[in-house]
Amino acid sequence: MADATVLYQDRETRVKGAGSAGDDLWMPLSELKAISGWELKPEGVCKDEVCVPVPDARRQAMIRGDQFNLTEFARLIEQPVAHDENTSVWYFGPPAWEWKSRLTSRLAPEFTLPDLSGRMHALSDLRGKKVFLLFWASW
Amino acid sequence: MWQGLREELKDSNFEIVTIAADAKGSGAVEPFITAAHQQHPSLLDENLRVAELYDVRNVPAIFWIDESGRMVRANDPVYAQRRNRETAETTLNQEYLDAVRDWAARGPESAYVMDETRLGARLPNLDFDDVAAAASFHLGTYLALHGHPDEALIHFKRAHSLRPENWTYKRQAWNLGDIERDYGTSFQEALKDPASGPFYPPLDLVEASGG
Repeated sequence: MADATVLYQDRETRVKGAGSAGDDLWMPLSELKAISGWELKPEGVCKDEVCVPVPDARRQAMIRGDQFNLTEFARLIEQPVAHDENTSVWYFGPPAWEWKSRLTSRLAPEFTLPDLSGRMHALSDLRGKKVFLLFWASW
Repeated sequence: MWQGLREELKDSNFEIVTIAADAKGSGAVEPFITAAHQQHPSLLDENLRVAELYDVRNVPAIFWIDESGRMVRANDPVYAQRRNRETAETTLNQEYLDAVRDWAARGPESAYVMDETRLGARLPNLDFDDVAAAASFHLGTYLALHGHPDEALIHFKRAHSLRPENWTYKRQAWNLGDIERDYGTSFQEALKDPASGPFYPPLDLVEASGG
């Protein structure tokens, strides 16, 4: 058992008592919500209105006593995971239902970002206008 | 620059939003924003998460979004100005500016609005390798910014091999490291890599006739 850093998209958490074995990241079930926003309920692994049932065949691979296998859950919901062994940093991307439908609807993905002064701007604030959206970079 | 267009179209229910997709953050982009005296929302996407949402594969990338929030053009690789390579003279990109004016005036009737087929070509469906590439890129960026350049390189290279056509992943990684030392190539050589495909897609301002 060692420490790991988990980047759950925008959420960064230092996890004590994490156990990594190859491509698997086990962590205390009690930390699950703080790390990922998900929590284990009788109906499955749940966040907001979404509950993902845990198939019986995968239960043993995902939950053992007070430990939860975050990477096994990622495989279940087709989340991409990238892991750096030397630094024990893990990155978890979005679940399948987010990335598979992201651009197919042709709706412009919603975002909220700061300007230089720190003021936040949401795309939806401009609904009713035509928006000319330009991405650029210094590189 | 784009501000002139904003001023010109301010009574046409039209707004410009620019997003700096740059891991080096405000320090790297503030001089450009300040120098341009920008009046429109000029936003920072330091972890390139919004660039990922729009599948921005290189910059510049321009999207037209209608009043209901739907995209009607996507990933246009266009600058406001054009530079003549021989004379180094800079002129406004009138053809593209006129296209934007036409859309502002005519909305869905504009010939520059893309139909579903053309939008689909600009916004291909993602597969698991594409999102795995994004995960490796984000991990690499985090490691590069937290003092682990050697580890960052492993994940950047994985992102580049999973999604070679994504120049954003390459150019940001090169910017956080050194293209020759770390990747054994040069910008000019990288442009010729057949796996990468074109640096910019063709603009295809209007639908090709007879096609």
